[in-house]
Amino acid sequence: MAEILLVEDDELVRDMLSQVLQRASHKVFSAANGEEATDLLKTHTPDIMLTDIIMPKKSGIALISEVRNKHPQMEIIAISGGGRLDPIGYLDLSESLGASISFTKPIDNTALLMAIDLLLSNKQNAVH
Amino acid sequence: MNRHIKQYWLPILIAIIGICLSVLLAYNALQLIKTAMPSLIIQLEALLPWLSLLFGVTISVLLAVAIIAIQLARERAVTLDQAREYLKNEVAERLQTEESKQKLEKALAQGQKLQAVGTLAGGIAHDFNNLLYAIKGYIEMTREDVQKESIAYKNLGRVLEATDRGEELVSRILAFSRRHHPELKSIELNSTLEAILELLRPSIPTHVTLHFEHSKPCIVLGNQTQIHQVIVNIINNAVDAMNGEGNITVRLKPITANNPLLKQFPHIPIQNYCKIEISDTGSGMDPQTVERIFEPFYTTKEVGKGTGLGLSIVHTIIKDHHGEISVTSQLGHGTTFILLLPEYVRQNEGE
Repeated sequence: MAEILLVEDDELVRDMLSQVLQRASHKVFSAANGEEATDLLKTHTPDIMLTDIIMPKKSGIALISEVRNKHPQMEIIAISGGGRLDPIGYLDLSESLGASISFTKPIDNTALLMAIDLLLSNKQNAVH
Repeated sequence: MNRHIKQYWLPILIAIIGICLSVLLAYNALQLIKTAMPSLIIQLEALLPWLSLLFGVTISVLLAVAIIAIQLARERAVTLDQAREYLKNEVAERLQTEESKQKLEKALAQGQKLQAVGTLAGGIAHDFNNLLYAIKGYIEMTREDVQKESIAYKNLGRVLEATDRGEELVSRILAFSRRHHPELKSIELNSTLEAILELLRPSIPTHVTLHFEHSKPCIVLGNQTQIHQVIVNIINNAVDAMNGEGNITVRLKPITANNPLLKQFPHIPIQNYCKIEISDTGSGMDPQTVERIFEPFYTTKEVGKGTGLGLSIVHTIIKDHHGEISVTSQLGHGTTFILLLPEYVRQNEGE
């Protein structure tokens, strides 16, 4: 139902999430890091960007702040792995930078899919 | 000469008096004998003045020597006592310093261990959470594809139970490592750095100079023990990079929000910082090493010689203090660490 840009550097998580989203009838474009995501955004306009926060090369935070202004209609969901590399502060920061909601791995995928549906219906209602 | 006269005036005086008395005594004795034995005396009379003088001088000198000897012995006893007292006090003081040093080292070691556990836990947790998530996601999807009544469905359910327990474990480890987040208080870095360096000096090889460039006081909000750990770890690394010879310079400088140095750290909040710079003239590092230097367990030392945790602990502590750390190094020339810690201005002091 929605076009989702998935930005995640862990290959297993990326593949798994991709399948989960496709099973829920969404169209998925994946990127392994912030740079690939920026490239994909040049040619696609996804409804939702689902991005990890801590990634090599360009961090998720930088990606969010960059993308927020260029694609104002796109909803952003931030996800993080917890642990030392990602103190809870980063998730709060991502929300203040423009992510509508954030999740910590391991994520309850049912909740994630519900959040996606909610954001999508909000968008559609806003358009109409 | 004057000192001797002052100290030995008594024996000298006695010697002089002794000589006079002896001469007088001898002369009187002579007169007495003269009247008693005139013939003998006439023979001796020629020699007598000299004999009596000799007699007098000998007795006096013996007396004087005796008195000087006793005086010297007494003085020596006093000096020995004083020396003994002084030694006792010195030893007691040294023992106390050694004791406090050991206490501090123990606290540091304990702190290091806890930091190490925290670093380990934190580092693993991130990757572990990714793995648990992937496992859960795949299992849930697979479960949708099998018959609800099948054994496969049931077993997959048990796998999910296992991953739930894995999740719990990770949270517990993280909670344990976070519990040891020590309290923060205001720390004046000039005096703190001075104290740490004084403590470190004795353990540094003699041909390595450790120099501290003071500046204006700079206050940060932090944990004293952790800041100690940071400095100690970096300096130990610097010492290891030298072959027993070289310079280590520690500089403290407050920097303001508009300092161009801050541009090196794109995500750093714009405010005033206390900058600590630690430079060494050691062997330096190649770019590949510099990139990995803060990784847990990364070490260039041989097995058994280093845990590889020292600098990753430093990194964690600086980050926990909401600061930044950077390192520049050139192979063959040395290394410089730059630490930025937010300057702490108490709210009620205003701008």
